[in-house]
Amino acid sequence: MAGFQQKVLTDTEVVRIVLDGDQEAFAVIVERYQKGLANYIFHMVRHYEESLELTQEVFLKAYANLASFDSAYKFSTWLYKIASNHTIDHMRKQRAPESPIEISADDGGGTYELPLESHAQSPHDSLAMKDMMGRIREAVDGLPSSYRELVILRHFNFRSYEEMAKITGLPLGTVKNRIFRARQMLMERLKDVR
Amino acid sequence: MHCRKVLELLPKFIENDFSEQERAAVEAHLKECEACRLEFEAMGRLVETLESFPPVGVPKSFKEAVMRALPAKKPRGEK
Repeated sequence: MAGFQQKVLTDTEVVRIVLDGDQEAFAVIVERYQKGLANYIFHMVRHYEESLELTQEVFLKAYANLASFDSAYKFSTWLYKIASNHTIDHMRKQRAPESPIEISADDGGGTYELPLESHAQSPHDSLAMKDMMGRIREAVDGLPSSYRELVILRHFNFRSYEEMAKITGLPLGTVKNRIFRARQMLMERLKDVR
Repeated sequence: MHCRKVLELLPKFIENDFSEQERAAVEAHLKECEACRLEFEAMGRLVETLESFPPVGVPKSFKEAVMRALPAKKPRGEK
C-alpha cells in the first residue's frame, strides 16, 4: 500500500484498490465501518459476542462479493444491506429466546457503556436515566421486527430514510410510515414512565 | 386541526417532515392544546433518549481478526 492515503480515498476508490489485488487495503473498509456495523447488529441480536461474530461474517461476505458492488450506489448502503440480510437470516435460524446482554469490562476493548455521567446531575438522576433507558430498550425490543429494524437503523445508526429504504428493500413511503408508527407504538408502551 | 389528527402527525413533526401549511396548522394547535403539547414534548424526549444510546465498541483486535480471516484468493462477484 505504498503512498496509500486512506483519508483522501473514497470507499469506491478503496474497493477498486482491493479488487486490483491489494488485500491489505480492505483494512480501511473494516476500520471505517466496524463500529457502525457492530452497533447495528448488536441492537438487532442483543448479544455482544454474537454481534461481533456476525459483524466479522458480514465483512467476509462483503469481501467475497466485492466485485459485485456497483459504484453507482453508496458503498455504506451496500454494506448495510449485506448486514441486514445476514443478521435477519441468522435471527430466523435462531428463533430462540434472546440472551441477556453480557458485556464484560475485559472483553478486549469493548466500550459499551451507559452514558450516565453525561446525562445526569446526581446519582438519583443517573438511576432515573438508567431506568428510563432500560424501559425504552425493552419497548424497542418489543416492537414487531420490521419496525424494530427501522428504529435501530434510524435512531441508533442515524441512517437516512432513503438509505433505510435501499437497505431493507422497502419503498420510501413505507419506511417513513413504519418509523412514524413505531414511534407511536413506543409512546403508547412508555405511557407510564414519560 | 383536531387533537386526533395532530397526534397522528406528531411523529412526522418531530423531524420537520411537513409542508409549511401542515406545520402552521400543527403549531397553532400546539399553542392552544396543552395535552397535545405535552405529547409532542414527550415524543421529542423519546427520540432524544433513543439517539443518546451509546454506540457499541469493538475490541482493538477486531480489525486484525477480520484481516486474518480473509481468504487468500481475490474477491469475486457478478458484474
